[in-house]
Amino acid sequence: MTVEIHYYVLLSAALFCIGLFGVLTRRNALMFLMSVEIMLNAANINLIAFAFYHGNLSGQVFALFTMALAAAEVAVGLGIILVLYRNFRDVDVTVPSAMRW
Amino acid sequence: MAVLEMPELTALAPPMILALTALVLFTYDSINPRSTNRPVIAGVATVGSLASLGVAVWFILSGVGTPLEEGGNGVFDLFEGQLIVDQMALFFMIIVGVVTALVSIASYDYLRDHTYQAEYYSLILLAATGMSTMASANSLVTIFIALELASLPSFALVAILKSNRGSVEAGLKYFLIGAMSSAIFVYGISLVYGATGHMQLDAIANNLDAAEEMNGLLGIGVLMLIGGFAYKTASVPFHFWAPEAYEGAPAPISAFLSSASKAAGFVIAFRVFTTAFPLDAMQTLGVDWSIAFIVLAIVTMTVGNFAAATQDNVKRMLAYSSVGHAGYALIGLAGLTVDGGELVLGAAMMHLLVYGFMNTGAFLFVALAEYWGVGRTFEDYNGLSKQAPVACVALAVFMFSLAGIPPFGGFWSKYFLFTGALEAASTNVWLLVVAAALVINSALSLYYYSRLVKAVWIEDAVLERESLSQPTGLYAAIVVAAVMTVLILPGFGPVADAAINAAGAIVA
Repeated sequence: MTVEIHYYVLLSAALFCIGLFGVLTRRNALMFLMSVEIMLNAANINLIAFAFYHGNLSGQVFALFTMALAAAEVAVGLGIILVLYRNFRDVDVTVPSAMRW
Repeated sequence: MAVLEMPELTALAPPMILALTALVLFTYDSINPRSTNRPVIAGVATVGSLASLGVAVWFILSGVGTPLEEGGNGVFDLFEGQLIVDQMALFFMIIVGVVTALVSIASYDYLRDHTYQAEYYSLILLAATGMSTMASANSLVTIFIALELASLPSFALVAILKSNRGSVEAGLKYFLIGAMSSAIFVYGISLVYGATGHMQLDAIANNLDAAEEMNGLLGIGVLMLIGGFAYKTASVPFHFWAPEAYEGAPAPISAFLSSASKAAGFVIAFRVFTTAFPLDAMQTLGVDWSIAFIVLAIVTMTVGNFAAATQDNVKRMLAYSSVGHAGYALIGLAGLTVDGGELVLGAAMMHLLVYGFMNTGAFLFVALAEYWGVGRTFEDYNGLSKQAPVACVALAVFMFSLAGIPPFGGFWSKYFLFTGALEAASTNVWLLVVAAALVINSALSLYYYSRLVKAVWIEDAVLERESLSQPTGLYAAIVVAAVMTVLILPGFGPVADAAINAAGAIVA
């Protein structure tokens, strides 16, 4: 028995929305990073489900690339959060506000 | 032609030279980690970017990328269409090469006290590699990877002044919005893949009929892709990182991001929407993206110019003006019609090339002012022409060219955008509104650009200044940018031909 494609899409859309909600509400930079990871993984679920649905492998291969890029992004992000902590003694993203939005 | 005898992979020489130079700098750094031998490091970076620029210019002149029927050497299709080297790719590789070279030369003086020299230049070259690859990316996979290769070093570069709170804050905000929009972009890719079953752009276009039953998914996917492009090009609705990041970043990096990174964002947008989502097929599916770009173009140029007019800080004014210019370049996509639009697309490409000189120059003048330590507001710039007449002449050239005053390059590209929009208006009346918005916003922009010229040339300095030093690298970069902004005028015929040919090849 195979699960129909639209359940996968619903699952990934729900994950994406959870991630987006986290991005918009979390003030801790680390939680922000985790929320972005959830959004990226929502895309991975879609890619793998659609690769199975269409019967070609490019989606699965791209999901591997996405994971590697997500790891690289976290590496750069943690570096920035580290210098943020050294300068502001906090990882709250609303604290640095020397420049106005 | 000698090019014909080389293996196909040579067509990718411009980005490969940039990557190689970055690796040379990394090697140098690992052998000699504490080295602050600026002449060697900045020299290697400059030579590498100039070599990449030279090869790209040589390629475009010798007909690489021109279709065989038109007497060229043919379009190079690499790795089964994942990368493509055509005229548009080479055109944007030239823009990236120009900006990278100018920024490397200028950074020589700007970073005189910085501890991490080789890291800085290798990050610049890696980001430039990503942008150069974006110019030739022809599949959503390569587009996303090249985009991340351009973004990740940029985040680090914005925050590279580790003990400067402004730089760290700018880096954080740039990173947060960048991470979020790349997640949105990759989700958009997954939806487009779901609807069509392919990621290579030509294959997507061929399978659009199969997407009939999933055109809702396709529509949301296209909308999310537009969000990703808007972030990379700093246009509405993802423009609000731009003033922060450009103001806090070291000024040469602001120049780099606002010129090269923006151009690279536009090239992928041009390629995706002309190759993968041709307008006629998308209209039958009910996903008419030209409306989205018409709205985005008008809103972006208006928001950018009005916000720029109210700034007191020069760098922030330039940042908002850069948002406004993204709006002008968006006309290139808004003006595409079912059976044409190569004039308006070519005009947008010309504008991005001219912008590469004039905007880089303007930000490098800000870098010069930061080097002198004169301050950041318009008033702090008062009377600079007494101490530094040459740089101030260059600044006047940049400002009037950005505003679109006739004798300079910026006028011609705006003129082509205007006529292109009017031509497209015969099929889509809304383009008349776009053309009107272009004229009104250009008139408004003259106000704040001439305010800066007035400050340096007419006003008297608030405080007496001692004579200012003349850093060789920064001066050289500014003068070259100014000379090119003027010289592009007699050379505009060939540039316009190249751009319109490149646009015609991609639209047809």
